[in-house]
Amino acid sequence: MSSSCRSERAGARRSARKIELVVKHQPLGESDAFRRILRAFEIDHPDVTVVAEALPSSSDVAHQFFLTALEGQARDFDVFVVDIAWVAEFARAGWLLDLSPFVAPASVRRDFLAALGDAVIFEGKTFAVPWYVDTGVLYYRTDLVARPPSTYEELLQTAREAQRAHRQLSGFVWQGRQYEGLVCNVYEAIWGHGGQTMQGDRLLLQTEPARAALHYLQSLLATGISPPSVTSAAEEETRRAFQGGRAVFMRNWPYAFAETERQGSSLRGKVGLAPLPTLTGEPGHGVLGGYQLAVNAFVDRDKRDRAVALLRHLTSLEASVDLAVAYGRSPARRDAYDHPRLMSDAPLVAALRPAFERARPRPVTPYYMMLSDVLQGEFSAAITGVRAAEEALARAQSLVDHLMDAR
Amino acid sequence: MSALPSTGEGKERRAGRLMMAPAVLVLVAVALYPTLASIWLSFQRLILVFHERRFVGMGNYAFLVRDARFFSALGHTVYFTVVSVTAELVLGLVFALLLHARPPAKNLLRAAILVPWAMPTVVSAKMWALFFLGENGLPFFGISIFDVNWLGTPGYAMHAAIAVDVWKTTPFVALLLLAGLVGIPQSLYDAAALDGASSLRTFFAVTLPVLRRILAVTVLLRALDAFRVFDVVYVLTDGGPANTTETLSVYAYKTMMRGGDFGYGSTLATATFLCVLAMGGLYFLVIDSEEETR
Repeated sequence: MSSSCRSERAGARRSARKIELVVKHQPLGESDAFRRILRAFEIDHPDVTVVAEALPSSSDVAHQFFLTALEGQARDFDVFVVDIAWVAEFARAGWLLDLSPFVAPASVRRDFLAALGDAVIFEGKTFAVPWYVDTGVLYYRTDLVARPPSTYEELLQTAREAQRAHRQLSGFVWQGRQYEGLVCNVYEAIWGHGGQTMQGDRLLLQTEPARAALHYLQSLLATGISPPSVTSAAEEETRRAFQGGRAVFMRNWPYAFAETERQGSSLRGKVGLAPLPTLTGEPGHGVLGGYQLAVNAFVDRDKRDRAVALLRHLTSLEASVDLAVAYGRSPARRDAYDHPRLMSDAPLVAALRPAFERARPRPVTPYYMMLSDVLQGEFSAAITGVRAAEEALARAQSLVDHLMDAR
Repeated sequence: MSALPSTGEGKERRAGRLMMAPAVLVLVAVALYPTLASIWLSFQRLILVFHERRFVGMGNYAFLVRDARFFSALGHTVYFTVVSVTAELVLGLVFALLLHARPPAKNLLRAAILVPWAMPTVVSAKMWALFFLGENGLPFFGISIFDVNWLGTPGYAMHAAIAVDVWKTTPFVALLLLAGLVGIPQSLYDAAALDGASSLRTFFAVTLPVLRRILAVTVLLRALDAFRVFDVVYVLTDGGPANTTETLSVYAYKTMMRGGDFGYGSTLATATFLCVLAMGGLYFLVIDSEEETR
C-alpha cells in the first residue's frame, strides 16, 4: 500500500500539469476499496490526480477544522464531507458551491432516501449530495429475548424478565453522556412518543411528547433498567458493555454490529437488530446521521467542473455499492438497495433499508451547533434528575428562542 | 524626582530604554495585543459563520449579567480552584517535608514524584477517564473506583476532575515548597532545638513562617492556573453531566469554537481575565500590606 502511494506521488511530479483534486473524508476503514474508486476516476479523467486526506474521526473536531479552514477561505481541498447537521450552517455561510445545476433538488428528492432531501437542500438549492447514511437501531440478544420489543412497555418488561434470570445483567444501554449522542437519543424518544421537531422556524420543546420522552429516559435510570453508567456513556462505552455480555438491549448505530459479529466475539450470532420501540408499537424513527459530499465554494473556477465530476463519481451507484460492501457504509441512494451485489455481499446493509427510510433529521437550521450545545446541557440535567423534565425543557426553550431570535 | 538628571545619566537611560525596547515589543505583541483584541471583540456581535459583525457596545455584558449559565460556570470554577489548590497545598507540603527529611534514594524519589506533572494533561486525563469508566472503559483497567459512576453523576463528576488535577499538580507544589525548605538556614533549627522546642512547635514556629512567602507565591501560581482550567474537564466530561463540571474556560470554548459566537465567547474570556486580574491584584495588596506591617 505504501509503495503504491509513493509511486502515485512520483507520477504526479512527472506530469506537473495535471490538476490535483483533494478529497477530505472521514476514515472509512481497513480496505483499499476507496483508493480503487478514486483510481477509476483518474482513469476516466487522465488530466486529474486525486489525493484523499482523512479527517479526525471525531465529528466535533472535523467541524472545527472546517470552521477555521473555510472561514480563512481555504482552497487546499476541493471536495469534502459534511455531516448532516452542518449542511445548513455551511450553506448559509457561503462555503458550499451551489450544486443545483448539476444535481437538481428534484432529483435529490427522487434518488435519495426520504429525509435526506430536507437535509441537503437549503433555500431551494442543492448544496451537498448525500453519500452514506446512519441511523439509530435497537440491538437485542437473540439468546435472551425471543423477539424484539416494539413498545416501550414491552422493552421494560422483557428487560426486567431477563434481569430477573441473570442478576448481573443490565436491561438497556444507550448514550447518556452530555454530548451530541444524547441529543440523538432524546430526539428518538420524543418521536417515539409522537412528538415533532419544529413548528415552522421555531424549535418545539415544551410539548407533552418531549416531557414524556424525558420522563421515560429518566425512569429507565431510576428503575435500574439502565445502569447508572449510561449517564457517562458514549457509543463505544455502550458497545463495550453490550459486547461484554452485560446488557440485553442497546441503542446504537449499525457500526456496532460488525464488532459483535467479529471473529472471536462472544456474542457472535447472538445479536439481532430491530427498529427502535415506540409508545404505540409502530416502528420507531431513528436519528438520521451520516455524511454528504460538497464542493468547496472557494475552489478555482477552472477546477470546479472536475470537482463536481469527482463528487458525482463518488456518489454514483457503483461507488455507493462498493462502499457498502467494503466498509459497511449504508448507501444514501435508493437504487443501491436493489443492486444484486449489495444484497449478496452486504445483506445487513440491505436489511436496514426500512430503518433509513423512516429516519428523521435533527432540527435543520444554520444555528444547529449552538442549539445542540444548549440541548445537551438541559437534556443531561433532565435525565440525571438535576432538574425536572418540565423545567429543563422550559429553560432550553427560552435559551433556544433567544439564540434564534437574537440573530 | 528631586534633581534633574545629568546629561550622562540621561544618555544612559535612553540607551537602557532602547535595549529594553525589543522585549517590550515582544510583550506587547504576544500578551497585550491578543488581550486587547479579545476585549474589543467582546463589544461586538461576531458570528463568523454568518459574516455577522457589528458593534453592540455593552450588549454582550448586559446578557452576561443575566446569564444563569455564566454564574453557574463561575461557581464551578471557584469551587474547583479553592478545593484543588487547598488539597494540593496540604499534600504538597507533606510530600515536601518527606522529601526534605533525606529519605533513601532522595534524588530518585524527587525525579519519580515529577512523573504526573511531566505527563501531558490530555494523556493523563484520558487515562483517568478510563479508570473512572470502570468496566466500560478499557478492559485492561477493569476496575471501577468504589463502584460509583464518577463521570456521569452530578456532584461526583466535579470531584473526579479535582482528583485528577490534584494528582497531576501536587508534585509541582511539592517541588516549589521543597525549594523553600532547603533555603531555611540550619541555625534556626539549632536555635529552636536549644530552646527545647518539640518538632511540632518547630514546624509552626520556624518552618511555616519562613515558608510563608513561597507558600503565597505557590498559591498565586496555582490559583491563577486552576481558575483557567480547561483540559482536564474537556477530556473527562466535556462539562457534563447537566453542565455541572462546566468551568468558565469550557463555556467560553464551546461558545466560540462550537457555536462560532466569537463576540459572546470573548465576553466570557474577558470576564475570566478580569477575575484572574482581580485575584492577582488582591494578592499584591495583601503582600504589600504585610510588607508594611513588618
